[in-house]
Amino acid sequence: MAARRAKRSLSKAQREFVCEAEETLERLRADLLTLAEQREGEREADPDLVNQLFRAAHSLKGLAGMVGFDAMSELAHHLEDALDGLRMGRIDLDSPAIPLIDEAVALAAGLLAHFGHQNEAQQRSDARDVADMLARIETGLDGPAKGPSEDAVDSLDLDPAMLRALTEYEEHRLRENIRKGRHVSLVETAFEISNFEEGLGELSAAIREVGEVVSTLPSPGDSPASQICFALLAATRIDASALAERLEFPDTSVRVLAEGRTTAARDAQASVPESGAALSGIGAGTEAARTKQRAATRASDDGEAPETPEFESLRSLSDTVRVDIRKLDELMVLVGELATQRASLSRTAARLLADAATSAAGRDLAKIDKLLGRKLQQLQAGVLDVRMVPLRQVFERLSRVVRRLQRDHGKQVRLDFRGADTELDKLIVEELVDPLVHLVRNAFDHAIETPEQRLAAHKPAEGAIHICASQRGNHVVIEVSDDGRGMDAEAIRVRARAAGLAGEADEISDKEALALVLEAGLSTCSEVSETSGRGVGMDVVRSNLTALGGLVDLASEPGRGTTVTLTLPVTLAIVQALLVAVGEECFAIPLNAVIETLLVEESQIHRSEGHEILDLRGEALPLRRLASEFGICAGEQAAYVVVLGLGDARMGLLVDRLEGQQDAVIKPIQGPIQQVRGIAGATELGDRGAVLVIDVASLVEDGVRRRDAA
Amino acid sequence: MQRILIVEDSATMRAMLCATLEELGSEVKISEAASGFEALRMLPRESYDLIVTDINMPDINGLELVSFVKRSELYRRVPLIIVSTEGSERDRDRGLALGADAYMVKPFDPSAMRDVAAGLLASAPTSGDATAEEA
Repeated sequence: MAARRAKRSLSKAQREFVCEAEETLERLRADLLTLAEQREGEREADPDLVNQLFRAAHSLKGLAGMVGFDAMSELAHHLEDALDGLRMGRIDLDSPAIPLIDEAVALAAGLLAHFGHQNEAQQRSDARDVADMLARIETGLDGPAKGPSEDAVDSLDLDPAMLRALTEYEEHRLRENIRKGRHVSLVETAFEISNFEEGLGELSAAIREVGEVVSTLPSPGDSPASQICFALLAATRIDASALAERLEFPDTSVRVLAEGRTTAARDAQASVPESGAALSGIGAGTEAARTKQRAATRASDDGEAPETPEFESLRSLSDTVRVDIRKLDELMVLVGELATQRASLSRTAARLLADAATSAAGRDLAKIDKLLGRKLQQLQAGVLDVRMVPLRQVFERLSRVVRRLQRDHGKQVRLDFRGADTELDKLIVEELVDPLVHLVRNAFDHAIETPEQRLAAHKPAEGAIHICASQRGNHVVIEVSDDGRGMDAEAIRVRARAAGLAGEADEISDKEALALVLEAGLSTCSEVSETSGRGVGMDVVRSNLTALGGLVDLASEPGRGTTVTLTLPVTLAIVQALLVAVGEECFAIPLNAVIETLLVEESQIHRSEGHEILDLRGEALPLRRLASEFGICAGEQAAYVVVLGLGDARMGLLVDRLEGQQDAVIKPIQGPIQQVRGIAGATELGDRGAVLVIDVASLVEDGVRRRDAA
Repeated sequence: MQRILIVEDSATMRAMLCATLEELGSEVKISEAASGFEALRMLPRESYDLIVTDINMPDINGLELVSFVKRSELYRRVPLIIVSTEGSERDRDRGLALGADAYMVKPFDPSAMRDVAAGLLASAPTSGDATAEEA
């Protein structure tokens, strides 16, 4: 399609504009249909709907202005004028300007389709169409304007702070409601700031059932850091005391501002047509189509060119859909639950197979189960795939950071990327931005020397930072390396002793010294720098990564440079888990961290410097007993060792039994157990109930620390 | 580090504001809120040195947000810029009367926007520095 091809030649900002403008036009169209229904039903236009239409036109105008799309901006401006007239009561639904709104939106869609790649002829014809439309809207709006009603707002007993914060439109709505004899009241309420939206939403909805929320004004609560108050200006068909009865919310009060004329009894009737709106909406599609048809006939009757873009305007220009990530989370949870159900199906099949009397049915069921499993896997992969985004966008941000640093500090540093197409879960990518920015700033500021120092050390004057991302199995490894001065282990030792992290007599190996930088956020830089010495330290990078189930590793060679390696799971949403049991307790271990499992005898386990180790093909594998980690009575017989690995670190976990593999959706735990080190969350495993999920990163980390300490 | 909070419901406009203000230098950190409600939730989490807000937004409008900020003991000293598509002059006057420190019209000129923002950041009491900068 020509339009789609041409769109690739647009800049990123222009593409974003097209995407959002399309969504805005789509919303305008949908809302105009609803408005047409309200008109057909001879009902009053819903003020919230009209305001929504106005806002859409308003933001389209602003967007078009920012990308220099003047024809669109002008058109949206007139559209906005017409809708503003409607919302402010200057014109009503019978105004000749109203039918033009549909046409103007269709024209806008046509303009958008030509955006960025129109030839001159097209440009001229578009300009003509726009000029023509503008003139028609202006004529349509040119009627005897209704004067504003006399000011009843000032007579309200309203806090001046609230009155001042009303927009012109809100003030108009207030006036309109008073004119119609609605009861005006002030509903005051308070919420915890962390979760006010749900409660406020319910309260507003309850008011809207009997009228309108004219304004919602937040104000600081008694303890402003944690609490927030809201004053809602409500115009309702029922009086304040009836409203107070309806609104059974905690900490909520209703105060009368203006008594209305109507009584509650008559209002119950008056509200019937409105609540019937949903019913009459059933025939809306055809009705709206008829309206459109009439509009089209009218247009051709007038001898104007028929709306050729009518079909075009319905076709979407962009093939992307924006989805709230929470919806994907919900899907993921569903897929996980489905997998859980399937596991019980497998077990049932196995049970039937084992019994000679039912083995035929068992075989059939097993076959179905296998097919179901395959489809389920595809479904899961599909849902996961949708969440994946390439690291490219993060890398682009890092480039910007380095460009700005160069400009501000006059240091020459080259930044290269490899593996920008490596994909990670959207949520992980978001969480990665801050740590990566910090690492790059660190490298720029502390690691890379000044050009003079570099030349003196026989290095090129220009420093280099390499970032390399690659996928390894279920993990993504991101290495941030620089060719700077490297870390001086001796300097770290001195600082560690000065900071009291180690005694004067304690031996600190080079590796331990680097570990201290990660753990305690120890800096090797003597003065706080403007670039990265403030804000987060390496310990924060590490805790960010740990929260994602990842690992940070640091390697440095004095004079040659430093490499920070981040190891991250590809997704947080669902994992294959190995189920293990200790005594009566069952735990899940994410399979992506399991390297192998071994059957061991107690006699194979040695003690070395107070810690248990296993000789694994010549390497000493530090061991931990899951039972003693969580204070459980373990069995006494032969046991299994689950070899865990994250990055280069290895560790063995001693358990009683292995209980198979299963998909698990990890859910965070609330409450005291949330703080327990070594537990990442819980998962629901069908007939097994809830099972705790082992946090491999923290166990491995503790294991490594012990070994290094030994 | 100075922190700017951008409150704007249009994603494209938000990205443009971000790109414009990021040019202020590497010492500026930008947070984005897609609605007035989101801004209310974000305010207590960090100490901002500048707020830039749109007026026409779906839940609470920019004026209501300005009113909230300027009446709050905690945030009243944070400078605030209203960025709105040219529209009601009344709304502009009200925004300024409520305590907004500047009013910019969309489409804005990026360098003018940066000048205004830089001026306000320079005059801002660096309230966040003492608490958030220790690392």
